Amino acid sequence: MERAEALGRERVLARIRSALKAPAPHHQCASPSGPVFVPLANAVERFQRECAANSTELILVPDTRGAADALGMVLASVTPGEIYLQDAPPLRRMLGGLKTDRAVRWSNDGPPSESSQAAITAVECLVAATGSIFIASSAAGRGASVVAPVHIVVASEAQLEPDLAAALRRVKDRELTTHNSALFLITGSSRTADIEKILVLGAHGPRRVVVILARNLD
Amino acid sequence: MTTAAQEFLRAAAHESTDLTRRKAIRHAIDQYDAAVQRGRKQFVDYEAARQKCYEIKWEALNHLDKYLLEFEEKVKARGGQVFWAETAEDARRYIADLAMRRGVRTVVKSKSMVTEEIHLTPALEKLGLRVFETDLGEFIVQLRNEPPFHIVTPAMHLTRGDIAKLFREKLPNAMSSGASSEDPPELVAVARRALRRAFFSAEMGITGANFLVADAGMIAITTNEGNDRLGTALPRLHVAVVGIEKVIPRLEDLAILWPVLATAGTGQTITCYDSLIGGPRRDGEVDGPEEFHVVLLDNGRTDLLADAEQRDVLHCIRCGSCLNACPVFRAVGGHTYGTTYSGPIGSVLTPHLRGLNEFQHLSYASSLCGACTSVCPVKIDLHHHLLHNRRNAVREGDRPWHERAAFKLWRWTMNSAGRFALAGAAGRAALRGLYRLGLEATAVDPLRPWTKYRTAPPIPRKSFRAMWRENGTR
Amino acid sequence: MKKVSLFIPCFVDQILPEVGMDVVRVLRRIGCQVDFPEEQTCCGQPAFNSGYWDDARPLAERFLRIFREAEAVVCPSGSCTTMLRVFYPELLAGTNLNGEARSLGSRVFEFSEFLVNIAGVDDLGAYFPHRVAFHDACHGLRELHINVEPRQLLRHVRGLELVEMSRSEECCGFGGTFATKFGMISAAMGETKAGNAEACGAEYLASNDPSCLMHIDGILRRRNSPVRTVHLASILARTGAANEGPETMSRVRSAK
Repeated sequence: MERAEALGRERVLARIRSALKAPAPHHQCASPSGPVFVPLANAVERFQRECAANSTELILVPDTRGAADALGMVLASVTPGEIYLQDAPPLRRMLGGLKTDRAVRWSNDGPPSESSQAAITAVECLVAATGSIFIASSAAGRGASVVAPVHIVVASEAQLEPDLAAALRRVKDRELTTHNSALFLITGSSRTADIEKILVLGAHGPRRVVVILARNLD
Repeated sequence: MTTAAQEFLRAAAHESTDLTRRKAIRHAIDQYDAAVQRGRKQFVDYEAARQKCYEIKWEALNHLDKYLLEFEEKVKARGGQVFWAETAEDARRYIADLAMRRGVRTVVKSKSMVTEEIHLTPALEKLGLRVFETDLGEFIVQLRNEPPFHIVTPAMHLTRGDIAKLFREKLPNAMSSGASSEDPPELVAVARRALRRAFFSAEMGITGANFLVADAGMIAITTNEGNDRLGTALPRLHVAVVGIEKVIPRLEDLAILWPVLATAGTGQTITCYDSLIGGPRRDGEVDGPEEFHVVLLDNGRTDLLADAEQRDVLHCIRCGSCLNACPVFRAVGGHTYGTTYSGPIGSVLTPHLRGLNEFQHLSYASSLCGACTSVCPVKIDLHHHLLHNRRNAVREGDRPWHERAAFKLWRWTMNSAGRFALAGAAGRAALRGLYRLGLEATAVDPLRPWTKYRTAPPIPRKSFRAMWRENGTR
Repeated sequence: MKKVSLFIPCFVDQILPEVGMDVVRVLRRIGCQVDFPEEQTCCGQPAFNSGYWDDARPLAERFLRIFREAEAVVCPSGSCTTMLRVFYPELLAGTNLNGEARSLGSRVFEFSEFLVNIAGVDDLGAYFPHRVAFHDACHGLRELHINVEPRQLLRHVRGLELVEMSRSEECCGFGGTFATKFGMISAAMGETKAGNAEACGAEYLASNDPSCLMHIDGILRRRNSPVRTVHLASILARTGAANEGPETMSRVRSAK
């Protein structure tokens, strides 16, 4: 079986190499060297605008204390039931300060359960130009940001990258593709327009995405 | 004429008269067009963006072996497995064997045109596996037992009423007993309920991929629903089936490809879930599949690669914008084509993947208006390739003998002004005679292929050259 | 005095000769010296579009010979102009006529682009007191990038109210042999175009491609539509003098 597979691979590669012997036309264009995307004036303002457009709930707070308060407020609006948290020291501290009689499951105990009502995670970074969050699988795994109907993220302005190019550069600089099996860019609520092109929020992923953005987090 | 061609004509005749269906298509496309106008606002210069995407894909395809090898090496370094499938059968067999060996009983599938191309689902179902399409549009057409209508919006031909009726019939348990069950949010909730169990119980998730990122050694998958996210987080096996042409050289290429794909595909700034996956769960990661398999599919792509004139067809990022722009698609819809890939890209691509002789009619079923080429985000010269396919069909001797003879006669006539003028005068005289007798559009009308659908133009007594000769030098 | 050689498409010569005469009238009005090389027949587009490039090539070579000395060639059809400017170089690639093909391509102009961009004229002193919508024929629009010029010309026509119909850039469905090989699709596309023209309240649908007009007119007549078709040249040829009447296909028909 393996030998046959190896032969198949060799044949495909051989066909590719043979095919590429003939050069394809290459249509150059006098490409303007200016920016392709509309430039960013203020990252936080742009992030705010994009979140509003893609239905991400954005809460701006000054510090960790403010973040904890905001977290408490958001959780109060979530259906009763278990919540799932990324096992990271800042989130442990934040939850410690909260009074909650919910069942809490931490990511070091495993993935979220099917009936989780909310998941709370950190992020690798945020993207201002698109109103997106960028999450690595080594953080809280893959299911954390999709299983529960509410996904809450806590981040600081230091994590706000201006655009996708900067975010992807950060991924490269920090060698995130080496340390993670998967990386996720998430922009707003899960959605579909498959029925008569009418936008419906909350398909298979979270209906609510909440970003608590602190000016500073210690 | 081949059977495929006959079937196309029959379906086209049927669909072009289905005014309800055409109205639904036009509505969907009007929505799409409005959304695209909004989505393009993120670009200072959308034409520059298109050119950049063209450059990225040109580089990728013209160094395809190098980038595929780089991709493979990095995936394997993470414990992923890469299988090079020469044919559809090779791909199906690999996946079926894997499923059998690992005791897979349930599969959740993300939307993937390439899995349609290789007819994967019927092959797995024949082995007794249950396969759930999880993209809402695909889920709907799967329940209806029909192919997707459009490569991005599989159920665009259906109304909410159609879908509600379908769900009542096929998913009685997931439907709530409530009243307004034609409400799109309610219908989406039904699908979510129905599929959630499948996600949590499936042993294998199958996806496609929008891109193979060579320098990261990761596949990139784009969805709005998040079905791919659940399908690659929960089951213990993940199989990604990807055409070899999906390669891009660098991670940073996504900074422009993701937004352009979103704008061209649905008019969004960016799609909700853009994921990069490069291997099975790593040590220390909370969850994720135990095994990650990438099936790289050739299935005729290397033949197209060898056609240097049409190599750019492999730039395609499957955004669907050529379908939406095409007035033929708007008139007859996606099912009429009878092929996995419909619309302009389907008409250009299918003869290469499945044979020019059998599928040349798709290249002729176009007015060559060029709308497709003008919207393609990776600048494929679509409508000119339709012309090239036509030329190739003639060169291969695949055209009917009477057509060849007709053009020989036409050429002989047109090679002389005298013969042309004489033929024209005679033709006009005959038509004027026939039409004066009221025989327009009847069986003896030589213009019947025209007059079957529209009135003939008034046939003049004098040609321009006759008028010119008489008094044109005034 | 600009010397202009007329390129009258084969079907205009035989079926829509008045369009050709209207082109002559307009060109003379702006002081052009107009000639018509009578050796011309067909540019070869039907064979080329059907894939019969070997049959189209001799006709292209013939065309190059006929127009070799022409300073400016003017044609009332975007698709035929496209054949010369865009496709002759491809058809004659690898032959010793490639250079000549490019040269001819730079000297051949669609009627509206000649008037506005070469002759520098947009007011022809025309009078056409009707509501008119313009159909952007595909070849002219997408291969020759013409869409400003026709509207610029129409805006200077006295009495003319220019309206925009929805999706004026969508193909009408003619497409050459497509119209008969795939008649049901062609007709469906034509019906959509006809419906859009009716919906915007136009009395006349104008275009710079007579093949489109022939097809759309056929659809409109079949559905007893109040909309009439007219070539841009025929509008510009009318100055409001006595005894003038637009030679639209429908008028000629009703006069029969």
